[in-house]
Amino acid sequence: MRRDPGTALRCALASVLLLAAAACAPGDEVADGPDVLRVLAGSEVKDLEPLLRRAEQETGVKVRLTYTGTLDGAEQVASGRAAGRVDATWFSSNRYLSLIDGAQAKLSTQTKTMVSPVVLGLKPAKAAELGWNGRPVSWADIAAAAEDGRFSFGMANPASSNSGFSALVGVAAALSDADGALSAEQVAAVTPKLKEFFSAQRLTAGSSGWLADAYARDPSVDGMVNYESVLLGLRERVTLIYPSDGVVSADYPLTLLASAPEEKKALYGKLAAWLRTPDVQKEIMTGTHRRPIVPGVAPGAEFGSAQLIELPFPNRRSTADELITTYLNQVRVPSSATFVLDTSGSMKGERIEALRTALVALTGPDTSASGAFTRFLNRESVTMIPFDDRPDAPVPFTVPDRDPEPVLAQIKAFAEQLDANGGTAIYDSLRAAYDRPVTPGRYSSIVLMTDGENTDGSDYAAFESHYRSLPEEQRRTPTFVVLFGESDVEEMRQVAQLTGGAVFDARSTSLSSAFKEIRGYQ
Amino acid sequence: MKRWIGVILAVVLAGVAVVAILLGGQENKGQELALVRGVIGSEKKPFFDDPRVKAAFAAHGLRVEVDTAGSRQIVTDVDLSRYAFAFPSSVPAAERIKRDRKATTTFSPFYSPMAVATFEPIAALLTKAGVLRDSGKGHQTLDIKKYLELVAKGTRWDQIPGNSAYPARKRVLLTTTDIRTSNSAAMYLSVIGYVANGDDVISSDAQIAEVAPMVAPAVLDQGFAESTSEASFDDYLALGAGKTPMLVVYEAQYLAHVFAGDGAIKPGMRLVYPSPTVLSKHTLVPLSGHGTRVGELLTKDPKLLALAAAYGFRTTDPQAFADLVAKTKAPAAADLVDVVEPPTYERLDKLITAIDAARP
Repeated sequence: MRRDPGTALRCALASVLLLAAAACAPGDEVADGPDVLRVLAGSEVKDLEPLLRRAEQETGVKVRLTYTGTLDGAEQVASGRAAGRVDATWFSSNRYLSLIDGAQAKLSTQTKTMVSPVVLGLKPAKAAELGWNGRPVSWADIAAAAEDGRFSFGMANPASSNSGFSALVGVAAALSDADGALSAEQVAAVTPKLKEFFSAQRLTAGSSGWLADAYARDPSVDGMVNYESVLLGLRERVTLIYPSDGVVSADYPLTLLASAPEEKKALYGKLAAWLRTPDVQKEIMTGTHRRPIVPGVAPGAEFGSAQLIELPFPNRRSTADELITTYLNQVRVPSSATFVLDTSGSMKGERIEALRTALVALTGPDTSASGAFTRFLNRESVTMIPFDDRPDAPVPFTVPDRDPEPVLAQIKAFAEQLDANGGTAIYDSLRAAYDRPVTPGRYSSIVLMTDGENTDGSDYAAFESHYRSLPEEQRRTPTFVVLFGESDVEEMRQVAQLTGGAVFDARSTSLSSAFKEIRGYQ
Repeated sequence: MKRWIGVILAVVLAGVAVVAILLGGQENKGQELALVRGVIGSEKKPFFDDPRVKAAFAAHGLRVEVDTAGSRQIVTDVDLSRYAFAFPSSVPAAERIKRDRKATTTFSPFYSPMAVATFEPIAALLTKAGVLRDSGKGHQTLDIKKYLELVAKGTRWDQIPGNSAYPARKRVLLTTTDIRTSNSAAMYLSVIGYVANGDDVISSDAQIAEVAPMVAPAVLDQGFAESTSEASFDDYLALGAGKTPMLVVYEAQYLAHVFAGDGAIKPGMRLVYPSPTVLSKHTLVPLSGHGTRVGELLTKDPKLLALAAAYGFRTTDPQAFADLVAKTKAPAAADLVDVVEPPTYERLDKLITAIDAARP
């Protein structure tokens, strides 16, 4: 399966403001119409686009998908912002959404369409070395091996991806002494064990699809926690470890919004019924490696025969949020984020104001859950490298492990004094970021934001050859580029591809939403 | 000439007659069916989606379309002005809607006792734990009092002695839907509330205050609960005991598949009855003239009554149900004696609110 994180991300970004949404539809652009069902979807269901073209032929329902992150999508639905703009949702799970106060009233009929548990996939040699072939392995076994440094893994960010969130819930439930739903106190109690487990995490990602790409790029990572469907679909085979104490599964409910007009309800009914026909369920199973939800279709051999215990999921939003916040601020490998920021003359006026606003938004003024998840985190080191005809001296900040407010205030003050003047030395500045030593035990990334073409200093070719000459640990840092203003789209894409990063388009949305989205990848 | 006119006239008349016969035969196809939209509990959706049910309504000039919502949602969240009828799964919810919407009548065309869908190895463990026993009447009963004792002790599956069949480190807990949204969970709550209240229907605020902390763990400790009974039954059928070792269901949900012989109920699956149990009386509240018509047809139309029985519901015609049970050797209880009444909507609502406040 080929993934284009750039497209997915642009669509995800577009969906935040629901602009240019038609560009994200499968196949040709479709405007709203009497036979169009507008669906807000998680990027996880992107692999069903070919099936939806068949749905159009067989049911006459044209599905227009707009992609968004699971938690972000949940907030759009719960707040009522999605009403009127989309008729249905198709996330990998409605669990987080259902925990938000008042969200239930926004939902009408829900139809589960398929199932995929979140499990651990390991390179076969590593699984054999750990002795995990053909015997029950518990999350506690996995955590013990992780703490001893016997393997490393990647996992998507729980604040932006359902796979990461499901994995976090599963690990926390299994490692805690709780035998029922987790409570906030139990989250606090299990935190030391979570630290042991996540000390082996080497890759993070804003989506399960991008995680698979990053894993494929980096041979030093032994495995990843992801949907069974993604792991079974990898070109390089992995051994799947189904923890004996349980998993959390996605069930992909196609969900009608209560606000949908009559004619859309009929379209929804047709599509939902079609998706559950045995023939389509079989195609979903063979085409995407997801388990059928209809009892008449027998699961294939690739899923194995072991009974999968489903772990209890929290039934209170504050517990879920506490778990994510604890992971981000206390548990995860801390992030080292470098921001290479264009402050050339062309950024004058609205643009530099937008940049200031976007950075200030990451210093904690937004106290909502999504605001808390995207701010600069405790233990994170943040380095600012503004540039015009040459890079300024890097300005480093380190957010402490508690009482982050004073440092966040310093970052805010720094952002507010940014001023636009001079030329645009993109590659000298990016090179300056790469030349800084990498701190071991941190997850490093670079954000490159520019609104124009390179006018000063070395060019892309020079940067590329310099990058290739760097020691491996420095080359591992991905660059997430933000398209803004008159960015050179092709060159920016090359930078992302060269460094294993991704492209975020702020031209049709805003710098703030692009930066927020990137936070899921840092 | 006159003769010719006579012949032509005869031919024309014959033609008119043929046309009239053709048109007459198309009575309801020729005219537009009246669209009637209802909001119903999800467990009745397969019934309303059945082409035979649609045809039975069409024969009376109606096209019935339904949306699903939890019974409590139908009372509190759903904009009922968009619907011709509301069809929740219990009398208390229907009575409340009737009062709120100033409806003059309700219809209770069919009912279904609450039951528990489980699996053979789980049933064996429950028997070992003293919770499940034979009723002596051909079905097994789950002793709610004993079950609540197990819940109070916090027993885990892997703590039941000699359990190698299901060694999960999860609590022994019945899976239910979300009490805040779904009727089947509320019905279950009526049952455990009755037992916790010393075998009496909860009828005062003082009793609610006393009972809520006793039954809260049975409801809340399972963690996230699905909002509809169809969703959790999907899990039971497709994902098995790993996800849902034992599930509170409407008897009809299970029997519909047995009667249909569609293979969804696999050999290791078991239907047992809580003791006491409660009857879920599916009650339709008409919100317009067409809604009243739907209620009348569901109650009186022989075709619809037969189809309701085929979907596992018990109707005013017990024979249809009994025949299906006999024909398919369905594990349906013939004689349920230990049946309690649910509290009023307001009391049940208060109990749910009190339990919800204890959410971990």
